[in-house]
Amino acid sequence: MTWRSAFTRHAGKYTVTAFKLTNFAFAIHFFAEYVAAIEYPSGPSMLPTISAEGELVLDNKLVCRLFPERLQRGDIVTFVSPLDPQRVICKRILGLPGDTICVDPTGEKAPSTEHVIVPAGHFWVGGDNAAWSRDSRDYGPIPMALVKGRLVAKIWPLRSAAVFRNPSTPISYTP
Amino acid sequence: MSTPFSRLREILKASKQYVRDRPPLKWTFRALYWSPLCIAFAHYGYTIKYVCGRSMQPTFNPDSSAGRDLVLFDRVSTKIRHEYRRDDVVAIRSPINPRLELVKRIIALPGDTVKTLPPYPIEEVVVPPGHVWVEGDEPFRSEDSNWFGPVSQGLIDSKLTYILLPWDRFGPLNGVFERTPQRGRNWSEQSAETLRKKKREARVTRNTER
Repeated sequence: MTWRSAFTRHAGKYTVTAFKLTNFAFAIHFFAEYVAAIEYPSGPSMLPTISAEGELVLDNKLVCRLFPERLQRGDIVTFVSPLDPQRVICKRILGLPGDTICVDPTGEKAPSTEHVIVPAGHFWVGGDNAAWSRDSRDYGPIPMALVKGRLVAKIWPLRSAAVFRNPSTPISYTP
Repeated sequence: MSTPFSRLREILKASKQYVRDRPPLKWTFRALYWSPLCIAFAHYGYTIKYVCGRSMQPTFNPDSSAGRDLVLFDRVSTKIRHEYRRDDVVAIRSPINPRLELVKRIIALPGDTVKTLPPYPIEEVVVPPGHVWVEGDEPFRSEDSNWFGPVSQGLIDSKLTYILLPWDRFGPLNGVFERTPQRGRNWSEQSAETLRKKKREARVTRNTER
């Protein structure tokens, strides 16, 4: 029996298997894209909350797809970088549409008196480690449509596993 | 002998037989089983959608046409190849309302200098890295970059490549630019399109470092 005849005899079976494998891979991929995913964040910009590397977090994608207006100040979100569409970054929401924001209170990246109003459909985001973070101070408010998911919990390492609670406490509201 | 597992296997076998005996059920399950591949084709390949609204007149929905245009949306060049060019017609997710999708034309790429139109507060803008400047073909009925500024490339969803319906305008978009207008039935439309293109290009100073 030559190799060729063996191949033709099993070709149909293998093709179906290949299609099934691709199908299964895409099922997992779209679950991760639309429902929830486990991610591996890296970089120092969220440092006290998420360490620079070696941690796994759970990312809830469904909320942002269905109800983007449910995101609150203090939520940690992942979004496509406005400056590089192939990068996904992770920051904390600081301002919702209509809020007045002081661009940089330290006066480092902008004069400390500069204030902006977040436009409709946008968020103002910032890293927890402000000194090491490129965020809305550099590229301005980000459109809601770029937001991909909200981080729910840290799941690895087990010792520091925790649910991310929203730490913001409103002082006063201006309706 | 009935262990819990053998019982389970029996139930599974029986339910499989139940589905196999009922063709409508069988085909529903098969369609569900293979749906990830179909979604993948739409998500990273091609889709067909209607374009509504007047902001892209006369490229889409010109006054002479009765219904809406059916257009082929190409996601290979945006989501896989990440390739954006001037004069491409693209669908972007609106920066103002995340649930809305807009169809606009790319006017300028990162680094280009654009002379803006009235609603925009500044007269000349350099498009920042990772952004594009988009405009509708009909400047008076279009909510575009002159309203909300340069748009991040991450918001670009797909590129519009072919008009499929109505039949009399069937054909590729951007096909006219390759040649000078030919004497014929749609000479006036072609030369108008070339004129609009020249007008657009006059407002953009290209970034030479690309």
